[in-house]
Amino acid sequence: MKIKKHVFVRLADTSVILGQRLAEMCSNGPTLEEDIALSNISLDLFGRADELYKIVAKLEGDKFTPDDYVFRRNEREYYNIKLVEQPNEDFAWVIARQFLHDVYAREVFTQLSSSKNADLAGISQKVLKEIKYSYVHSKDWMNRLGLGTEESNTRLQKALDHLMKYVDELFAFDELDKTYLADCEKLKSIWFKEVDEVLLESNLKRNPFPPLSMRDYRDGFHSEHMGHLLSIMQYLPRAYPDAKW
Amino acid sequence: MDKFEAAFNELIEKELKIEPRDWMPEKYREHLIRQVSQHAHSEVIGMQPEGNWLLRAPSLRSKQVLLAKIQDEAGHGLYLYSVAETLGISRQEMVQQLHEGKAKYSSIFNYPTLTWADMGAVGWLVDGAAITNQVSLQRTSYGPYSRGMVRICKEESFHQRQGYEIMMQMAFGTPEQKEMAQDALNRFWFPALMMFGPHDKDSAHSSQAMKWKIKIESNDHLRQKFIDHTVKQIEYLGLKSPDPNMKWNEATGHYDHSPFNWDEFWNVVNGNGPCNQERLDHHKKVHNDNKWVREAAAAYALKTETQVA
Repeated sequence: MKIKKHVFVRLADTSVILGQRLAEMCSNGPTLEEDIALSNISLDLFGRADELYKIVAKLEGDKFTPDDYVFRRNEREYYNIKLVEQPNEDFAWVIARQFLHDVYAREVFTQLSSSKNADLAGISQKVLKEIKYSYVHSKDWMNRLGLGTEESNTRLQKALDHLMKYVDELFAFDELDKTYLADCEKLKSIWFKEVDEVLLESNLKRNPFPPLSMRDYRDGFHSEHMGHLLSIMQYLPRAYPDAKW
Repeated sequence: MDKFEAAFNELIEKELKIEPRDWMPEKYREHLIRQVSQHAHSEVIGMQPEGNWLLRAPSLRSKQVLLAKIQDEAGHGLYLYSVAETLGISRQEMVQQLHEGKAKYSSIFNYPTLTWADMGAVGWLVDGAAITNQVSLQRTSYGPYSRGMVRICKEESFHQRQGYEIMMQMAFGTPEQKEMAQDALNRFWFPALMMFGPHDKDSAHSSQAMKWKIKIESNDHLRQKFIDHTVKQIEYLGLKSPDPNMKWNEATGHYDHSPFNWDEFWNVVNGNGPCNQERLDHHKKVHNDNKWVREAAAAYALKTETQVA
């Protein structure tokens, strides 16, 4: 399926893929309370994706439905940030990925909430309320795991060291980003300032790594994890193309 | 009979509620702990067979509905563990009993979910059977359990509708979808009916529980109510009855059914069903793999509480 590049597609794809990753945690959380919390955040993300795909569908003349976008595109036609497709190696990965995403998403939707596009501004205002909770949850766990035990600190640091590789591309803004985001440089500087502050207070570090030759998510490039995620998620509509669900 | 026991009996007689601080016979307490913890474990273990299809849900809507439903079940598990805690047992002890095989959960969750239609059959039949039982438990004599059930029933009725919606999509869908719907009905029908427990004449705990009004209606009465209600839904879906002997009996005013395979029922209860080992192993593995998270949270709480003090 060919889809025109929209900022909405990037945001929607990022939401649905992170939603799917969090759904994997259902019945796998460290406590029942945490299981419920992660399901809640996952539900918010699926709802957000649905709303954003509806805008995309409208822009494309209603040729496709949100479900078509989710279930009938292959990995090279998906435009999510690579950060969110990284696997749930352990609970530290889930938390680190969520925290890095939440700070980013909060700043993106803050800027989009004053967009001239009324649909987008409306959704962004709703999303900001959801992210507020998600952020409190992920930041609290950053503190808890960072300062809890030696083991939890080590695990979280290891997760961060892996996930930080997928941060640079968030801020490699293209013309399309710049059309919608009011101030890209500000977004980047707020993100680094805040992440560094939370890492510092949690006894964690942002370790340097050599420059990576990695292609950009804006061109539909992914890690190998993505294909497996999609093959599970899209199995039924692909296997029974004529069925209605 | 001392004055405490007389007061307890009077409360039961008048259909008033027994509250956590009231005196109660030790056997009443034990019965409730066993029943409520089994109920809580069922909610939690029940997340697994549905979780099996969560990642493969075929639309954004069905994914959200299923996830919300499983999340409700985790919530029910929480309320019920809290109810049991008012009787003097901790969640940790209950989980330990589950892992040691001393506490049971509903045997229905030891069956595998093999197709998407099973998400329909589980909601429709398994939640449907559960709600038939739970509606009557809203009047149970133990106050916290009764109040928990009122809330749980509201959510369960949404679950049953979610299941029936999937059954309709499947039964009225493509021939392949209809075949999956029939297959799911065939596999879940008898296990769902046996969820109500043994026949009244064979039920070990029933008679005392009914005297104490923990249990309000008998296994056979509730089962028959469920069958009578569900047969019409099978007909509406255009599916075949999985029981060739199921027919309307003018004399009794109920549907007749074939004898149940109680040997299979007890064999699954006793640990030899298709997924008993897998369900328990999964729960243990998640619990053990995440021990470090709970330890970190406890260590952090201790540090921050000390700082406040």
